Amino acid sequence: MFSDLGAHKDRTLLGPPGSECPVFDRVRPNYSSCSDRYRLGERSFNRQYAHIYATRLMQMRDILTARAKQTWGAEVPVRRLCDLQMGEQCCIVGTIFKHMELQPSILKEISEEHNLLPQPPRTKYISQSDELILEDELQRIKLEGNIDTPKFVTGSVIAVFGAEKNDGKFTVEGFCTADLPLQAARQPLSSDRFVLLASGLGLGGSGGDSLLGLQLLVDMVTGQLGDQGEQSGAAQISRVLLAGNLLSHSTQDKDAVNKAKYLTKKTQAGSVEAIRVLDEVLVQLVASVPVDVMPGQYDPTNYTLPQQPLHRCMFPLSTVYPTLQLVSNPYQADIDGVRFLGTSGQNVGDIAKYSSMDDHLDILESTLRLRHLAPTAPDTLGCYPFYQSDPFILEECPHVYFSGNAPTFQSKRITGADGQEVLLVAIPEFSRTQTACLVNLRTLECEPVSFSSFSTEDDEENEMNISH
Amino acid sequence: MDDLYLENIDEFVHDHNKVVTYKWLSLTLGVHVNQAKQMLYHYLDQKRKESSGSRLHATYLVSGKCVENGNTSHKVAVVREDQLEDVKSKMELTTSVHVYSIQKAALKDSGPLYSTDYDAVKENLKNCSKYSAIRCAAAVPMSPTELQRAREMAQAPPPLEREASKAVVNGHAALTSKPASKQSKGIMGMFASKSTPKTQECSKEVKMEVEEDTSVVETSNSKLAAKTNAMSNFFGKQTASKAKSSSEKSDKVIKEEAGGTQTSSVAEEKPSSSSPKAQVDIKEEEPKSSEAEVKKSKDSRSKTKRLNPSDSEDEICESQKKKRRRIKKPQPDSSDDEVIPESPPSHNVETPTPSPESHVKKEPVPHTQENPGAKRRKRRRVLKSRTFLDEEGCIVTEKVYESESYSESEDDFKVSKHRPKETGPLKPSAGKKEEEKKSQKNVAATTNKATKQASIMGFFQKK
Repeated sequence: MFSDLGAHKDRTLLGPPGSECPVFDRVRPNYSSCSDRYRLGERSFNRQYAHIYATRLMQMRDILTARAKQTWGAEVPVRRLCDLQMGEQCCIVGTIFKHMELQPSILKEISEEHNLLPQPPRTKYISQSDELILEDELQRIKLEGNIDTPKFVTGSVIAVFGAEKNDGKFTVEGFCTADLPLQAARQPLSSDRFVLLASGLGLGGSGGDSLLGLQLLVDMVTGQLGDQGEQSGAAQISRVLLAGNLLSHSTQDKDAVNKAKYLTKKTQAGSVEAIRVLDEVLVQLVASVPVDVMPGQYDPTNYTLPQQPLHRCMFPLSTVYPTLQLVSNPYQADIDGVRFLGTSGQNVGDIAKYSSMDDHLDILESTLRLRHLAPTAPDTLGCYPFYQSDPFILEECPHVYFSGNAPTFQSKRITGADGQEVLLVAIPEFSRTQTACLVNLRTLECEPVSFSSFSTEDDEENEMNISH
Repeated sequence: MDDLYLENIDEFVHDHNKVVTYKWLSLTLGVHVNQAKQMLYHYLDQKRKESSGSRLHATYLVSGKCVENGNTSHKVAVVREDQLEDVKSKMELTTSVHVYSIQKAALKDSGPLYSTDYDAVKENLKNCSKYSAIRCAAAVPMSPTELQRAREMAQAPPPLEREASKAVVNGHAALTSKPASKQSKGIMGMFASKSTPKTQECSKEVKMEVEEDTSVVETSNSKLAAKTNAMSNFFGKQTASKAKSSSEKSDKVIKEEAGGTQTSSVAEEKPSSSSPKAQVDIKEEEPKSSEAEVKKSKDSRSKTKRLNPSDSEDEICESQKKKRRRIKKPQPDSSDDEVIPESPPSHNVETPTPSPESHVKKEPVPHTQENPGAKRRKRRRVLKSRTFLDEEGCIVTEKVYESESYSESEDDFKVSKHRPKETGPLKPSAGKKEEEKKSQKNVAATTNKATKQASIMGFFQKK
């Protein structure tokens, strides 16, 4: 663990100045980015989204067929929906569509006949009346039986086992997902090395207090604060990964849309100042450690997944360092032989809205088992209209699978059927939790690092504690 | 170790009434951060011993392992002195404890700590980790040249397997050349970013020409040396190429014009060779200039090269000013003979100065002046897109040819602005360039007067 690394050294800082001050060398990891699949070349939005479902099903069908035979025996008939025989026990592979009464629909809202009021935004859009429908290339069929409707989300490709009943519905006896893909073996490391994950810096937000926390984080990583032991530990942080939402939601003022142009012409967007602060934070970091910067939901890049890297002209100070990497979201990279894959959290947040699952870690695991980063794209999550392949299908199993902007820090190790070992990390939002996390590349353990400073409220709390 | 720093800290804390953080102290005194922490502790310790330290308030940084609900975490906290023991006792294992700051007043919250650090860091952004305890060998700021190279590398089309159709490849080609010009250093950055795509194809050309030029024109012109120096400078190169291209353009146009008036409907090379010939003659009259060896075809280029690559905007302005002046002078006589004798003296005078070119270049201007003055304003057809709502309520975008009036100077500016975009994505072959020039000529085939009126019109149309 990180704290233990530097703990057994003598205290040196509570005394008169000594002459020798050690300077530690930052470890240099082997690094290669594998995010090319998330880079967009030509961007054409003239296409429809049907293709992405078609290609997703096509890519997943073989995997699921194999998985189904593994689960229910090699003799199990795998049928297309059009070949389905009434009453025959068989297995079908298809894409889930969850019919949701509460799902916001722009068509519903603007249709004059219904004359509905716009629905207020909700935290969850699931209801009792939700139905699961399985679609393949040609047809769809309603699912019922042994399947937990609220847990599923539109767009997941699964295999179900059961039989069609007289009422035209498919009674499910069991289902299976594609489960974890194969994993490349990872090189054992001889010493502890760390990657620091942080997300949701939320610059430009209202709370100026959080900035000291951020500064402490920067100071810890860059080897400013702490005793020699701590600094030598910090030198083992080989990389910093900022997983999205570097800017606060409040920098996205809607004034530009709602107000007349002549009123807002002279006002500067809030994001301009925030980006400048971010540049100043980044320049401190990149002068000391390689940094990967992923964009998030509120950052100034394209909104739809895959989000393309932030433009480097926004960072005049830090962009001169070769250590600054502006990367895409989702992001995939090999750091010292450990494969990292993750997003800034939009995919997980969206599934939380449209399923009964709340826990970011559970959702993360379910997407890994579905072998798809963002099943709800393009239904409820913005996504580029891919048509030849779906880049969000996981072809290789990562060693560290993360998502950013979670409400709290969580991490978990899971082991796959084929011996895959994956560390799931929900990276907490820094601006709210003042917490980042350190992944140990040698042991694949993850530990939160939290920063705190005192404020007037603490005082009151303390006094309360004393009085009780 | 001299204890001068104690006095320093004393001064900062008491006289300046500052919040002295270790980081601020380290950056101010230029000492290692750990030393700064020790200095603060030493100072505090001494003051306390002198029992005058009661008025001093300190904050500490504590970090260590915390165990909460069975989960271990690393905690880093800035605490006031009175909370120090409390926080330490909560930690399973303390990794570090040191003085974070010293100040005279008790701090209500940690806001002042951040702002002190922020100010200090902001002043030292360029070398903010100079005194830290970690050195990163990889984090060395790149020079502009390296930066450029790195970017070109980064812009190399990523191997795209998805949508691997040609369309994508094309899309990438278009994308790559544009971001390659990202630059972000103030005004220079703006210039650079505008002209980088150009440099990519031009710089080679420019360099070659420079070499040729120096070999041909052996006349130890200090200006040439200066230019090659400037060429080696990256930005200089860019602006040079920009200046070059824009001036070349106007040059060409003028020449074409001149040619047009001299010999109506001649081949393209003709005008550019005929009018420069006159100059060449002039130069030959000067004893040492060996410019005559320059081939006719190259003539126009080598001329433009002499524009000094200092600041393209200034250059343009200057040339425009000169243009106007020149225009007025020869107006009464407006014949070739009159112009030619006039230019050698000016040439002589200006050889050391950066822009003799603007004169040589502008010589044909009188010819244009000969042309009916009415030609200063022109109409041309431009493709405009119009969006409107049709009767079915659909948004329709229609591309229509419209004629609009324009003036020469504005066109000049536009062309120089558009050029990067036009040439960026494609490697322009010689033929392509010719074509471009031709089209420019067609557009700007008349005058090159920079009238005040025109620039105002330009303001309205460009928006």
